[in-house]
Amino acid sequence: MTNSRALDVVIVEDEPHLAELHREYIEQHFHLRVVGIATTLEEARTLISRHRPRLVLLDNYLPDGQGVELIDSPLLKSFECSVIFITAASDMQTCSHAMRSGAFDYLIKPVFFQRLRASLERFMLLVNAMRQVKVVDQHALDRLFNLPTGDVPPTPSTKGIESNTLERIQRFFTDNPENNWSVEEVVENVGISKTTGRRYLEYCVEVGFIRVEMLYGNIGHPRRLYRKAAAE
Amino acid sequence: MKRRLPFQVKLFLSLVAFSCLLLILLGAILFHFIDRQLHHDLGQRARVQASEIALMPGLAEKIAARDIAGIARLIQPLRAQSDASYIVIGDVNEQHLYHSESPERLNLPMIGGDNAEVLQGKTIISVRKGGIGVSLRSKSPVFDADHQVIGIVSVGYLTSYIANINARILWQAGLYGIALLLLLFLFSWMFTRNLKKQMFRLEPKDIALLVRQQKALLEAMYEGVFAVNGERQLILINRAARELLDIHQSEKDLIGKPLENVLQTSPDFFSQPPASKSSDRHDHIAVLNQRQVIVNRVAIELEPGIESGWVFSFRDKNDINTLSSQLSQVKRYADNLRIMRHEQLNWTATLVGLLQMQHYDEAIRYIQAQSEGAQKVLDFVSAHFASPALCGLLLGKYVSAREKGIELQFDPACQLTRPPAMLSETELMSVIGNLLDNAVDATLKAANSAAPVELYISDRNQELLIEVADQGCGVDDAAKPHLFTQGFSSKPENGDDIIGSEHGIGLYLAAGYISKAGGSIEITNNIPQGTIFSVFIPYTHSSSTGLKHDKLPGA
Repeated sequence: MTNSRALDVVIVEDEPHLAELHREYIEQHFHLRVVGIATTLEEARTLISRHRPRLVLLDNYLPDGQGVELIDSPLLKSFECSVIFITAASDMQTCSHAMRSGAFDYLIKPVFFQRLRASLERFMLLVNAMRQVKVVDQHALDRLFNLPTGDVPPTPSTKGIESNTLERIQRFFTDNPENNWSVEEVVENVGISKTTGRRYLEYCVEVGFIRVEMLYGNIGHPRRLYRKAAAE
Repeated sequence: MKRRLPFQVKLFLSLVAFSCLLLILLGAILFHFIDRQLHHDLGQRARVQASEIALMPGLAEKIAARDIAGIARLIQPLRAQSDASYIVIGDVNEQHLYHSESPERLNLPMIGGDNAEVLQGKTIISVRKGGIGVSLRSKSPVFDADHQVIGIVSVGYLTSYIANINARILWQAGLYGIALLLLLFLFSWMFTRNLKKQMFRLEPKDIALLVRQQKALLEAMYEGVFAVNGERQLILINRAARELLDIHQSEKDLIGKPLENVLQTSPDFFSQPPASKSSDRHDHIAVLNQRQVIVNRVAIELEPGIESGWVFSFRDKNDINTLSSQLSQVKRYADNLRIMRHEQLNWTATLVGLLQMQHYDEAIRYIQAQSEGAQKVLDFVSAHFASPALCGLLLGKYVSAREKGIELQFDPACQLTRPPAMLSETELMSVIGNLLDNAVDATLKAANSAAPVELYISDRNQELLIEVADQGCGVDDAAKPHLFTQGFSSKPENGDDIIGSEHGIGLYLAAGYISKAGGSIEITNNIPQGTIFSVFIPYTHSSSTGLKHDKLPGA
């Protein structure tokens, strides 16, 4: 069975101690097999083209170049291979580049094993899910690849929503059910900042408590007004 | 390999050889003419003498009487005065009656065989071998009273005599020739030396090489170079100059034209700089063809002190600005590195301390704090935005804002999983990127530039909502309607601004994309200061959400 075969991993890291630690951690906790450790970009290319691993742990700073070059390279695009990109906090700009190229995950050095574990768990989840999806449906695949890093919050999002503030806004609309309000008017009356106000109003629209009304004034742009939704 | 002769020697030798050949040819032709003229002249002289002798009174009688002694007496005085080689008198039977040179030939026959015509009464000129050698001679008949030929008078010049004369002429001509040749040598030598001096002692192939080299040098130069002569006509312009000044004519068309026809210069472009003894000028800022450039000027002096033109070299002022700003950036990086190294040392020292004290948990927490912030931003961005490209853009903006000391705050409720159908990913990125850039710039200009820029992106409802809030310098109410027209910019347009031309395009582009996607953009004032840009882009074009768009609000 293919399921029993450990997945191949290549570690690209020029610090041998760190690479060895990563290998140990990966092989202890996951059904993964480290097939090689590369200390230079050149070595990494050789190892990857020889073993065609399923996963590459890629450090950015290497003696002969930057690891980010590899993510873009046709070598990695030529077969199914995920990259976990590791770089220093001072090198976030490179991370932005790596993101555009679409690495599987991005870790900041010093890497914490908890964070590495989360990343690898997500990777195993992806691999297993892909094995189970018999008929590959593009939409399902897209969803798999875009698995968010953290916990996916159940909709509607409650991120940044405090019940206190929410109650105040809802009370305001309940008290004035017949009126249309602009964002400015709402935040002024409730006493919150304008930027926060938009988030709460969007939340209320999402849960169906209020709705958006458009006012087409005599100036070109329509104005957006909020109004208490009719009770179910 | 045989060493080639230097140009000067070669020119000298060929000049000399050619003139020698000319002289020799000229001499030969001249000699030929002189020789012919001499023969003709001597022939005539002989004829005149022979005819006159033949007519001498008393001669005919003496011939008829064969009075040899009488004839000799008669002719002898003439002979003494004549320059002829000989005078001979013969009778009808071609026998000598008188011979001025060899009397022993008397009564012997005349030699030459050219007497037939003379006996018929004609005077002839001929060249024949006679008794004393080859000679040019004339023979004239002597008539008696009945006009019958009774004798022959022959006056001759020996060829050896003629050759003598010729040799004398040749000798003299040769002397003149040698003098001429000497002059020629002198002239050729001076001419070639002068030529060489004018060519800076260079061989022609060196000059050709120099010319090509100079042309290549000019074309390869990154700086613009042009030169004018004393009349301010263009005599040289290189490729860089034409490109920098946006001149499309070829160099050939431009050369020789007055500079004013080619370039628009400021009026004081040629004026003498004050407080400068030479007319050279360095790093002078001028405007050429509406372009700010930094010009250097060097005079061309064919003779010391007399200016016969100038060479100008110039660079784009913007390039210099870019360069200096890059330089200051490098300096800043170097400073940053120094600070980072210092911090790193402190950090390591603390860590070592903690480990030695066996405060392991604290050590771990200490290390965690290092990567925590960055990792959180990374995780947040990649978790909340589905498009890798957008993630990259946002992270990039986050980092570049942080480098400027501004924090880009992502609203915790940010979410983007589905791009709107009417807006491509690139367009979406352009919209967000431009709004963020503007917000960061506005914040930098405000007094309180520590305030964060807030970004909220949500696709929860029927519209994609992008909201960028800054606490920067804000936008005048009067300027708001013009904010989205091309070229409008609130950013300063001073000389230090190296990206001036890019200003005023970002919002214009963004607004174009938004309206194409059927969306709208709102600008409101932030509290306590700054601006909020809110972009709404519908997911379905004309809304099918059941919202009553046409309904006007009551009250």
